[in-house]
Amino acid sequence: MRAGVSLLCALVLVGLLYRGSMAEVTPTFDLSEIEKEVEKKPYAFGGFLQVQPTLSGLDRHSALYKLKFYEDEPGASMEESNLGARLEGAFQYGDLSAFARLDSFLTHDPNGWNGKMTLMEGYLSFKPGPRMAVEAGKRVTKWGKGYAWNPVSFVDRPKNPEDPEEALEGYYILGGDFIRSLDGPLQTLAFTPVILPVYEDINDEFGQTGHVNVAAKLYALLYDTDLDLLFFTGASRTTRLGFDFSRNLLSNLEIHGEAAWISDFQELTFLENGQVLTNESNVWSYLLGTRYLTETDLTAIFEYYHNGEGVDPGDLQNLYTYIDRAYDNYQQTGNRSLFGPINRLNKEGFSWRNPLRDYLYLRLTQKEPFDILYFTPAFTTIVAMNDWSFNLIPELNYSPITNLEMRLRGIIPVGGDLTEYGEKQSDWRVEFRLRYFF
Amino acid sequence: MSKIIVLLTVLLLVTPAYAVDGNEILARVDKNLSPDSYEMYRKLVNVEPDGRKKEFILFTVKKGRDKIAGLFISPASDKGRTTLRLGENMWLYIPNVGKPVRITSLQSVIGGVFNNSDILQLDYGEEYTVTKVEDQEKETLLHLKAKTRTVAYDQLRMWVDREKMLPTKIECLTEAAMLIKTLYFKDMKDFGGGIVRPAVVETDSPLYKGYRSYMIFAKIKAREIPDEAFTLNFMPRLESLR
Repeated sequence: MRAGVSLLCALVLVGLLYRGSMAEVTPTFDLSEIEKEVEKKPYAFGGFLQVQPTLSGLDRHSALYKLKFYEDEPGASMEESNLGARLEGAFQYGDLSAFARLDSFLTHDPNGWNGKMTLMEGYLSFKPGPRMAVEAGKRVTKWGKGYAWNPVSFVDRPKNPEDPEEALEGYYILGGDFIRSLDGPLQTLAFTPVILPVYEDINDEFGQTGHVNVAAKLYALLYDTDLDLLFFTGASRTTRLGFDFSRNLLSNLEIHGEAAWISDFQELTFLENGQVLTNESNVWSYLLGTRYLTETDLTAIFEYYHNGEGVDPGDLQNLYTYIDRAYDNYQQTGNRSLFGPINRLNKEGFSWRNPLRDYLYLRLTQKEPFDILYFTPAFTTIVAMNDWSFNLIPELNYSPITNLEMRLRGIIPVGGDLTEYGEKQSDWRVEFRLRYFF
Repeated sequence: MSKIIVLLTVLLLVTPAYAVDGNEILARVDKNLSPDSYEMYRKLVNVEPDGRKKEFILFTVKKGRDKIAGLFISPASDKGRTTLRLGENMWLYIPNVGKPVRITSLQSVIGGVFNNSDILQLDYGEEYTVTKVEDQEKETLLHLKAKTRTVAYDQLRMWVDREKMLPTKIECLTEAAMLIKTLYFKDMKDFGGGIVRPAVVETDSPLYKGYRSYMIFAKIKAREIPDEAFTLNFMPRLESLR
């Protein structure tokens, strides 16, 4: 109910603002006013306010519903609301600058209100010239060319492929950037080293604590093609090497790809009795994708992703079967001990988000159909090729007024029993997001 | 027979002469529109049929014929976005999203009538060759053809003020000569440093009936900019050039 009220309030607000701005007429331009607007200050402050009500239809027979709600079941549907702000501040003094991005959100769900404040990024930079920069602090490195996944992003948290454009939280790093521009087919060469410490109280979510890790990226713009060579080594995670590329083939066609070789990866095997076996081996993850714009302004992004760190569908079926058994046991005896091995999986680095090996991603975005300016409907689907389950994400984006963005979207997982999307906790989810930037 | 040979020889000589003259005019137009290496600010305004407006302010640096980079200063929802163009390569960097992604010339990072190639306009001579020159009353009409298929508009028709050697109107067409949009160059202004050019470019398009877009130029000044400022790694730091 609260979600519905929030949605209604947001729409009324937008309607009022929309009507208020109808009175504008043919523009006149005053260059002196523009010159005043562009004056630079040594500091900057901004961000956005957000309201996001969500309504989910829960699948009470699914494995992930049982895993998440076995102690306190919310019923057939669940309302959640998220409201808060993302705040950004920047300061520049000569060659030194500082930047911080802070998320501060309140979430309401059946368990009540929860507040969370996260420093997404916060770092100091020293830029003595355009050829060099040194940065220290919490930072997202943003490596890779893929849209939905980035297997070569060795020192970042994984993206959510259902919302890949959302900001990520960084890790504390010491990084450099050294750039050279050249004449000839090799137009740019850049080297980006990163030092990533992992200790009990810093970056402990990254991997094994008590170590300093090193990573680097060598970038080249060669024959109009972006190329990156990347590596990571250290004791917090195993050594890995990577390569990526992207290139425009036509004025409306781009291709990109990534490949990562991961040494000594602990492959997981699930048995029906809850036992988890590990086997050390070298694995490859890779992605190939394209972005195409049609004459009717429809942008298509298509990617194939092989997840070398994933599991076989048979293992996932065993895992879901075991969760069912643990749930039934809890219902009958009140004993939650059978969930123990599953909770340990998170510590083993198991990804619940895309646990299988092969995925297809397709996103279609139609720019301003029916001559409705700043209105962008989109449709996304992610297909788990190993069990052919998938999700459907229809989406409407509208930004009728400067600095106001609205997004209405649904997420519908589709799949049979014991498949990845068939065992998601929701049958469907509808969310409305309103952001006002300042 | 000898008359035919003479006629053919004259025709062969005349046709490239037109092209050379046209390309010289185009080179002068490019030179008059902007210095070789410079910085400037632009306000981009999209106006809807009912009069509603959406405005963007962009800081831009350009070097040589094929390097240009832009930083969005406002509105707040777009602040910090940067765009880079090196010849036929274009990228967009969105601070929240992460790494620079390749974009294509026909897409639009701001919506509305302007697309990426309008916002990151290179010298016309870099992308087009003059195929035909027509003298009109006060203007010269240049027919331009794209050098490669990655250029946004396959053909341009550019009306050039013969006295000022600046464009007054440009029609952008597809390979099949379908009109995509028309640019009108207005409001001559002396920006100092010998830069005298139109301060406003108005755009309309038969594809967006009733919609108009404006590009207003401010604070154009010659500036030496290092090549490294036009690289992917520098995109998140473009603000430091302001």
